[in-house]
Amino acid sequence: MSRPRVFLVDDHELIRSGIRAEISSQVDLVGEADEVDAAIELILERLPDVVLLDVHMPDGGGLAVLCAVSGRAPDVRFLALSVSDAADDVIGVVRAGARGYVTKNILGPDLLDAIYRVYDGDVVFSPRLAGFVLDAFSAGTGGPTPTGVDPDFEQLTPRERQVLRLIARGYIYRDIAQQLDISTKTVESHVSSVLRKLQLSNRHQLTNWASERRLT
Amino acid sequence: MTSSPNSPLPILGVPQRPLRRSTSSPLIGGVCAGLATRLGVRELTVRVVASLTALFFGVGLLIYMLAWLLVPRWGEDRSVAQRLVGARRETHLILFALLPVLLVLLALGRFARRGGGVAVWPVLLAGVALVAIWFGSSREEKGHLHEVVNAAPILGSSSSHGWRALAWRFVPAVVLLVIGLETLRRIGGIWGGAVPAVLGAGALAAGGAILLAPWWLDSVRDLSRERRERVRVEERAKLAAHVHDSVLQTLTLIEKAAHNPAEVTRLARAQERELRQWLFSPEGTTRHDEAGESFAEQLRRIESDVESDYGVIVELVIVGDCPADSHVTALTGATREAAINAAKWAGVARVSIYGEVEPTAISVYVRDTGVGFDPERVADDRHGIAQSIVARMNAHGGDATIHSVVGEGTEVHLALSRAAAAS
Repeated sequence: MSRPRVFLVDDHELIRSGIRAEISSQVDLVGEADEVDAAIELILERLPDVVLLDVHMPDGGGLAVLCAVSGRAPDVRFLALSVSDAADDVIGVVRAGARGYVTKNILGPDLLDAIYRVYDGDVVFSPRLAGFVLDAFSAGTGGPTPTGVDPDFEQLTPRERQVLRLIARGYIYRDIAQQLDISTKTVESHVSSVLRKLQLSNRHQLTNWASERRLT
Repeated sequence: MTSSPNSPLPILGVPQRPLRRSTSSPLIGGVCAGLATRLGVRELTVRVVASLTALFFGVGLLIYMLAWLLVPRWGEDRSVAQRLVGARRETHLILFALLPVLLVLLALGRFARRGGGVAVWPVLLAGVALVAIWFGSSREEKGHLHEVVNAAPILGSSSSHGWRALAWRFVPAVVLLVIGLETLRRIGGIWGGAVPAVLGAGALAAGGAILLAPWWLDSVRDLSRERRERVRVEERAKLAAHVHDSVLQTLTLIEKAAHNPAEVTRLARAQERELRQWLFSPEGTTRHDEAGESFAEQLRRIESDVESDYGVIVELVIVGDCPADSHVTALTGATREAAINAAKWAGVARVSIYGEVEPTAISVYVRDTGVGFDPERVADDRHGIAQSIVARMNAHGGDATIHSVVGEGTEVHLALSRAAAAS
């Protein structure tokens, strides 16, 4: 497998050097940026395979970079990195088109794994993110969470629910495939379909849900 | 048939019977709104007509008061007047209340003869009617009147501080107003001297105000800027105190423990959790006792306790939440044991806990990817802990399944049906 070309966006030098140390032996690091404008310019110039994107930055944060780039360079994939697991952040960047969301305390090998999976076109859901999504979609089942039921709010299939639950329980895709007796590719397609539903679903309801819960 | 609490609203062109005072959109007594419904016209139209006729020697005012006294409120079967006649005790009270009113009336009568003209009489009669209405109205209507009084500009703000405060403000103000009016009258009649005097005084005040306005505005602006500044300084002091108390201390500890990675991780995680709690939790919320906590709160407490006591990272995911009764507390108790078990024996740095509350069931999974064990041949100490988890769940109508493979890890599944939890 070819090495992915990775671009790193984070406004903290300390974090950048830490991530650099963890991944530089396994990927081609093609550039770094510490602010939104420079990041947009350099990403459009170098067209990396995967952008590791900090969610919290001055001048609009990772969301601004995502929105500016995804229209002009649709092949660039984004993996969001954040110190926080706050529901607002997660929902925001995933809806804007990030292919995955991991927290910065992720261990080195797991981060590399996530980069490679995004590079392969897969979606990376952290256990916490899987929990959020289950929570958000439990609206339609009469669960105790969000307000009202939106007919536009697409529901998850039982299989997708199962997969998300296993992710939330800490299983990796290979183990999930084994548990459910399906192929890893099928697991990945379930997760991609969940991501699509998340991106299509009613924005208002999701933000409502997120701000109500104030999950941190 | 029970009457609805809200009277019907006017429908244009459709007269609705019977005539009742409105409870759905009354301004004062609900007379105009009620009349609008009865006639099928806009409320505003009736109100404008009433106000105009009130100017005409107070005719509108008197009719309004009469209607207030004689027309029952929507949903009530007797009018204010009928109530008054019915309740003898109240009638006495009114006679007592009328005495001072009559005195004032006579005193002002002199005034009326000299300058005020005929308009004074309707106002006084309306005052008498108001006293009667106050005593004759139903409990609900009294509540509404309280609201009206509270919304009025002069009475409102202070009636919330009690009637005594109102009296302290009201009596001197009225005395001063009367003195002022009397003085103006003495200057030489309303049109001869009073109006020019008032105009002159007003012009003087306005001129002075314009001259002094920049200075006054500046000082007001300074004041609010100063207040903002003070708030900001206080915020900064609070933040600095917190950073000093916890973050700096932790960093010092981390420096000292640099040779011990597990300890560093533990300190960093604990500090991270505390800071997060401080930053994101709403102002003033503190941790409750275990008894008052919800399912999710109990799990979060387990996360922080196990992390700080055993130096592992607990990956906690919660979907849904519910209040904790004794069954739920037993479930979280078993969760705690399972998590501690994994932290102590699995030999890995990460333990996953997943808790989900569904309409019919609550389930918790505690998982590690550590050494695992063979359920057939377990060491005695581990056996004991596993048994205690199972026994505890069974005692509360739940289930515990322990699944473990040597070299791959262990997963404990705890399940509790909510029907059992509710019974």
